[in-house]
Amino acid sequence: MPSYYGYAGRILRINLTNNEVKVQHTEKWLITEFLGGRGFNSRRIYDEIPKEVGPLSPQNKLIFSTGPLVGTAFPLGARFNVSAKSPQTGILGDSNAGGHFAAEMKFAGYDQIIIEGKSRKPAYVFIADQEVQIMDAEHLVRKDIYETTEMIKKDLGDKTFQIAAVGPAAENGVLYAGIFANLTRTAARTGMGTVMASKNLKAVALKGTRSIKIADPRRFQKMVEEIEEETYTHPQYWPRRTMGTTRILMLADKLGFLPTRHFTSATFEHAAEVSGEKLAREYNVKNRACFSCIVPCSRIYVIREGEYAGLLGEGPEYEPLSSFTARVGNSNLSLALKAVDLTNKLGLDAITTAECIAWAMELYEKKELTKKDTDGLELNWGNGEAILTLVEKIAYREGFGDLLADGVKRAAEKIGKGKEIALHVKGLEIIQADPRGLKGYGLGYAVASRGGDHLRSEPFIELSDDPEKGVEMFGVPEATFRLAYKGKGKLVRYFENWCAIIDSLEVCKNLAGNMELLPLKRAAEITEAVTGFHFTEEKIFEIGERIVNLERAYLVREGIRRRDDYLPARFLKEPLPNGNSKGAVFEIEPMLDEYYAERGWDERGIPKEATLEKLGLVDVAEQLSKSVRLL
Amino acid sequence: MKRIIADVGRCSGCRLCEMVCSFSKEDAFAPSTSMITVIKEDKFGLDLPIVCWHCNPCNVIENCPQEALERNKEGRILVKEEKCVGCKECLEACVIGAIKLHPEKNIPQICDQCGGRPLCVQKCPTKALRYIETEEQEPRLPYQVFKETLRRWGISA
Repeated sequence: MPSYYGYAGRILRINLTNNEVKVQHTEKWLITEFLGGRGFNSRRIYDEIPKEVGPLSPQNKLIFSTGPLVGTAFPLGARFNVSAKSPQTGILGDSNAGGHFAAEMKFAGYDQIIIEGKSRKPAYVFIADQEVQIMDAEHLVRKDIYETTEMIKKDLGDKTFQIAAVGPAAENGVLYAGIFANLTRTAARTGMGTVMASKNLKAVALKGTRSIKIADPRRFQKMVEEIEEETYTHPQYWPRRTMGTTRILMLADKLGFLPTRHFTSATFEHAAEVSGEKLAREYNVKNRACFSCIVPCSRIYVIREGEYAGLLGEGPEYEPLSSFTARVGNSNLSLALKAVDLTNKLGLDAITTAECIAWAMELYEKKELTKKDTDGLELNWGNGEAILTLVEKIAYREGFGDLLADGVKRAAEKIGKGKEIALHVKGLEIIQADPRGLKGYGLGYAVASRGGDHLRSEPFIELSDDPEKGVEMFGVPEATFRLAYKGKGKLVRYFENWCAIIDSLEVCKNLAGNMELLPLKRAAEITEAVTGFHFTEEKIFEIGERIVNLERAYLVREGIRRRDDYLPARFLKEPLPNGNSKGAVFEIEPMLDEYYAERGWDERGIPKEATLEKLGLVDVAEQLSKSVRLL
Repeated sequence: MKRIIADVGRCSGCRLCEMVCSFSKEDAFAPSTSMITVIKEDKFGLDLPIVCWHCNPCNVIENCPQEALERNKEGRILVKEEKCVGCKECLEACVIGAIKLHPEKNIPQICDQCGGRPLCVQKCPTKALRYIETEEQEPRLPYQVFKETLRRWGISA
């Protein structure tokens, strides 16, 4: 086994069909061309999951990866990606989570864990350094995330195991079930929990005693000290420590892109009542952090009065909070906390769950659905009891919940209603930021390799509305105006590449990206200091570009074309009715043209042969050209 | 004597203390070689670093069959590596469970307070660790601390 700096150096392959366990070494070319994490996973999926493999078939593979900076004193590296073919979108499934699982995976000695096949009986995987066992999980069937985690710790007689588990939603085949580590650290998007449960796998429990070495400790320490100093004096430090990402809610309301009542409004009159500020003031009791992170932006809340008094939980972040308040028209903060707690416990993607509920509510309000369709539930905006009931019904696929359990795209197709207002891209429900008020984000949703999501690009710089930034970064002043179209292709290309690097180093996007603590140059330098492999700003940017192109090639192989890079009709046709982005619609075609040109893709959205070759993806170009003509 | 004291209300559970400790002793990052350990109860969002209190008297010194532990003139407990046989008696004897065995050397790891300038205290991001003079000869039990915290939050558990 070659010994590396930074990397654990091993890849673990577990076949649940025949209980075979293999350890391979982490190959050097994988490191220098794909860095880690998401890059490792996307390459693995491209190589090992062909078109004919169904997402819920035993041939699909569930792949966990972490990155070279994780499990060190680097202050913002604690994350892992979990990927597979997605049952929700049929294309690249991929989700990312923080907490303490990723670091423990490194200490156990693994950069990547590949799970193949399907267990005959309910099982969980036990990993302690070189010891790998497939354990019986009969007693854990249908247990929720919290129960499962606690029961495994009890069975093993050791509370220090890190556990990533699926809940009843996944076992019941809800297409958007997630994988949950540390109870509430969710890799929730694109149905990775559903894939895991389809393999009869309830959890992965791991722990390790191995160590991570650093190639250039002095340089590493010096850089960490610089980052620490910048972090502690950063203007976002205290707002993040107080509110985490929930600080966005009031800002989104003020700027007019807070999706309210299923995107029929861009401001919420009750925003202050459900804000991060209110949560911090009236509910929070302490802070928590991911592994080795110096910004403890996660918060523990306690509900002190009312119907849900006594509920204690971690989080929520902006997405689930905003999803279960503004999106569904609910002004009761305690109820939103209860709803998020329920999605965590049952193992659901909160964004998709809330979109399904909000979609149904809009149809109900328009009288296109009636109580007869909804099992008697009155789905008026903000009906809290109905929201909680529906979350449970979805998780257990009961009655009307069964329709919603396949996601909003399939639900609309099934009942032949609400197709125009089914807010998804490529089958993945879009997040809580209205693209009409944020053009770069909108383009990001349209082209993201995992469907309607912002975390593939997150071009936060457009919120600056600062033309000088646009000129400096892209030579186009409009690129950094949130309501302008020009230059967004450049903007999104740049931020997509950066995000691919962030996801592959498995560092935190909030700190690395939004707080700008890990610009490209520093990303290259710290990776070099940790791993000893030579990286430059240009080289690391090219890795980001390579990952995005490889993912696109995978999507093209699965049949994705320009027609799939769209936004739902609502955003293209209906001007925003109110707020500070009033009147805005979304015009996608010119932005797509610019983006494809920037990327070196043709008008169909297919990477050109020369583009792939330039990135060293010659094998990919060759293979792809067998099914589609490359220009 | 001066002791490392942890504040349960401030600790974010990040375990950076474990990272800096292991690196300063071994030039590699590993919780398994750290002399400080954060215990965590995710269910209640509770975190608390556990580290040798250098109790006086010390149950571990008294129970070591090999007499492999001694107290130095600063009051810190030290392991005499040549005497230790890795029998693990000390793991049970420590009242707060602050001791673990080094995974390779198989000897107990007991905090040496970095000789008087503990790095974990310097680096703690939330100032949950302090290094201060206290005459309390015994530490508070971790689960007692957790229970009290929950009571303060109005949670019955």
